Order: sequence, then structure tokens, then C-alpha cells
Amino acid sequence: MIAQEQKPMEEILGYLEGKQKIVVMGCGGCATFYYTGDKKAVNEMAEKLTKEGKAVTKIILPLGISACEIDMSAAFLEKNRKAIENCDAVLMQSCGDGVQVVNEYIENKMGLVKAIYPANDALGLVGGGPTKFKETCQSCGMCELGKTAGICPLTSCGKGLMNGPCGGVRADNKCEIDPDKDCAWVKIYERMEKLGELDKFIEMRDPHEWSKMKRPRLFEIEKPLSPVRAMLGSLPAYLTLLRKPKLEE
Amino acid sequence: MGDEVYSDLMRDLKEGKYVFTGELEPEKAGDVHEPIEMARDLKGLVVACNVTDNPQSFAYVNSMAASYLIQKETGMECIYQLRCADRNRMALLSDVLGAGALGLKNILALTGDHVSLGDTPDAKPVYDLDSTTLIAMIRKVVDEGKDLGGNEIHNPPKLHVGGAAAPGAANLKAEVAKVKRKIKVGAEFIQTQVVYYTDVLDRFFKELGKVDVPVLVGIFPARTFGQADFFDKYVAGVDVPPDYLENMKKTKEIKDKEKRKEEVDRVNVEFFTEFLEHLKGTPAAGCHMMAVGYPRIIAPLKKVME
Repeated sequence: MIAQEQKPMEEILGYLEGKQKIVVMGCGGCATFYYTGDKKAVNEMAEKLTKEGKAVTKIILPLGISACEIDMSAAFLEKNRKAIENCDAVLMQSCGDGVQVVNEYIENKMGLVKAIYPANDALGLVGGGPTKFKETCQSCGMCELGKTAGICPLTSCGKGLMNGPCGGVRADNKCEIDPDKDCAWVKIYERMEKLGELDKFIEMRDPHEWSKMKRPRLFEIEKPLSPVRAMLGSLPAYLTLLRKPKLEE
Repeated sequence: MGDEVYSDLMRDLKEGKYVFTGELEPEKAGDVHEPIEMARDLKGLVVACNVTDNPQSFAYVNSMAASYLIQKETGMECIYQLRCADRNRMALLSDVLGAGALGLKNILALTGDHVSLGDTPDAKPVYDLDSTTLIAMIRKVVDEGKDLGGNEIHNPPKLHVGGAAAPGAANLKAEVAKVKRKIKVGAEFIQTQVVYYTDVLDRFFKELGKVDVPVLVGIFPARTFGQADFFDKYVAGVDVPPDYLENMKKTKEIKDKEKRKEEVDRVNVEFFTEFLEHLKGTPAAGCHMMAVGYPRIIAPLKKVME
């Protein structure tokens, strides 16, 4: 998921200076999991803006409906067409994808030109949980994990080196940049040692191919997924959740 | 390693001479007068001098420009330090070709401290290559006349490339495996990060075993307590012994400038004599004396090695 946190209110109010009628839109995807776009977050934002004298219309997306998945979020935009038509600005409680996908829809499909602002800062693809998350993949388009014992050095090494460790490892095998972070290359060495693959460690890995990261990357699938069908088909597998292990932090 | 010898440094190493190298640091300035003066002082004492490239990620005069000017003005052979932190593979290749065109003969290929540690912490770090892939690229350029993409290079540069090692690394096995990787892809010499402890040195050489390339051990006789303290606090992977630090600190109390200088020299000669005596018994091919701005200490320390 894409981790995110809310921007300081000062910055948000700066964007909205001189704008009176505001549409605040949340996101039922990642932002909901990080409490930055769920129903409560939208209500709280609306309350703060109302206190600042703004007239607010809320668009709350239920869990599972992401702002960036326009085939689902568009219905909520259309439902609030009048408010969007009349507003001075849209404030998105989502990641930057949500902001831009919604903006494109409002402008190109609804035919409205509206100022749109982010309320959140996206902090990257993260995994883990239940409360602590870590960025381990940067979607570079050319996965190197097969060469690095399942640990991505491009993401987990502070310098993104393909051939570490660098000379800056601390005495406790932490990173030179941040004493709280492990040296990814020491971790890779230790994993390769356990796997009996140290011969691979000493081999040079070629420089990473960044050609797969020509931005903006476009992606296409043959036909859209039917979420209802996918969920129904997976019903028996959901039973596994009944045995969900208790994760300690 | 190829048989060709392009530099005095490599000539002396191949002839089996015990080699001393020095270090010069271009500064945040619009000229390189100071390192040029230092190079004049070091002439005859060391075979070549490293010229640092944005050390600790402080942005200074370009290392290639400084190396060229130092070499031209003083005749001191330079070991042009080139780090991956600030340049992508295209810029690195351009710089390697430029270095050859300017008559530089040695490159020390470095990954480089992270930009967030220096004086421009908001800069975007690059690290498109790392020290190992940079070494491999330089060897490909020099030996095959080709760049990373296999494109032909007309009249390829003639220069040598070395790599760094960190004997004080906490996971020494991983560090040594990395050093061997650098040697495997073509590093022709190794210069180590600063070492203060003889047991650190012994552990490193024991783990490294026999290698085919010369290893120069780095030492850092500090000109002031501040320098030593900075190394201890801020240079990754280096611990400065508390006794040495304490003795250096005491020199600050001496009011008379000349007497203070004498005492600083005495502290350094006393500490490093023991270290250098020990170094004689190791497989080191020489000593890299990183006495930045402190050329007068080189002669008395070299004497220990005679």
C-alpha cells in the first residue's frame, strides 16, 4: 500500500487561501488504512475548514473504493456534480495518484476546471503492519531480488547500491545515514551465508537497468477486473482469516 | 591486472617498492592554491597524492580540475578520487575520459558518503553505479576501449584504477568479500580507510588472505585536536583511540604556537611509530598518509619505516 500522512494544516490552509467553497474528498483505499482519507479524517478536515469560515462539501469513499480507481470513484464525483461545479477548490485526502486521477476526470469527463490540492504526503509503497510499516519495493520495473537473497538493495540500502556494503556501515551494522536502519548489504550477506550462497555475494551485480523506469510509466490490461466476482471467487480462501495470527509489535 | 604501467604509482608498486601516498583536499574556493602549496611540500616525500572528491559530501572544487592543476603546477602525480554519489554512469564516463585527456593516471573509485551527511543535505543522491561497477567500467574503458553499453571509445585513456577498503568494518567478512569483488573486477590497488588499531589491521589482513594487488594502509596523523575529533565523531567506520585523542586535546592548552606544533608532532610521532613498526610486519605494500594540511609530519613518519 501507499503510506501517507496528512500535511500540516498551515500548508493546506495556504493552498485554500481566498477559496471559500471547498469539496473535501477522501479515499477508501490506502488513505483509509493510514487514517488520512477515511470517514473520520474527512469529517475532521471538514470541521477544521468550517472553523476557518469555509463552506465544505464532503465526499466520503467507503472502504475498498479508492479515489485513484476512477471506474469506482467516478460515481461519487458524479453524485456531487453540483457541489463540484460550485466549488472554488477540491481538497483531496489521498495520495498524489488520487489527486491527479480525480483532477483528470473532473476536467476531461465532467468538463469542469477546478483548482485541486493535496491534503496528504505520500510516503511510498510499504508493507508490514499492523502498526509499523517499511518501504521495501520501489516498483522499479526490473526486480533484482533474485540476485540479492530476497532483499532489495535499491530500496533497503540507503544508497541503493547493487554491490555493497559501503564503507560507512556503523559498528552495530546500522546504516551511515540513519542509526535506526540496518545495513541492507550486511543483511544480504547474512542471508546468503545462511543459504550457502556466498559465492553469489562475491560476484558483481551489473548496474541496475533504469530504462524500465521511464516516467510516466503507462500500463494496460486487456479487460478490467470485476471486484465483486473476484471477491466471491475468493470466499473460501477468506476463511483463512479466521486463523489470523496475532502479530506482536 | 594488465601489464601496462601508466603511472609512477603503479611503477613503484610493480617494482615492489614500499610506497607512500599523500592526500590533498580541494576546498570550497574558487582556486586550488592551498592544495598546490601542500603538493609542493609533499614533493619527493610521496610518490602520488590522492585528491579528494567532495569528502564527507561537502561540495568543494571539482577533483578532476584540482588534480589536473596540481599535477601541472607541481609535477606531483595525482590519484583522482571519483565518487558515485554525485554522478550517473554517463557523467562518470565523461569524467573518466576527461581525466585521461588531462593526463591523469590514477583513479580511486569510490561510492562516496551519502549526500545527507554533508553540507548540501537536500541534494538528490545519485549512486547509479557503485565503487565496484565503476571499477569494472573503468577497466572496460581502458582495456577494451568500450563503455558500459559496448560503444567504441576512440583512443581510450591510459590510467589505473584502485578501490577502497574499510578494515574497521563491523562485519569484516562482508567487507572483505566486497574488497575481493573489487579486485576480481579489476581494481589494481587498494587503499584502506584510516586505521588506528593494530589488531584491526591484523584482523583485516588475516581475513583478506593473499591477494594479487597491493594494499596501502591508511593512517591519519591529525594536525589539530579538532581534526582528530572530527574523524572520531563523523567519519563512518573509524574509531580514534581515546588516549591519542586525549593527548591531542592537551596540546590545545599550549599557548605558544611553535611549542604547540612541536607537541602535536611529538604526539603523532609517538603514536604512529608504534603503529608503523607493526605495519612493517604486515602484507601492506605501503602507507597512505592522509595528513591533510600537515605535510611536515610525513618525513619523520617515513623515517620510522626505513
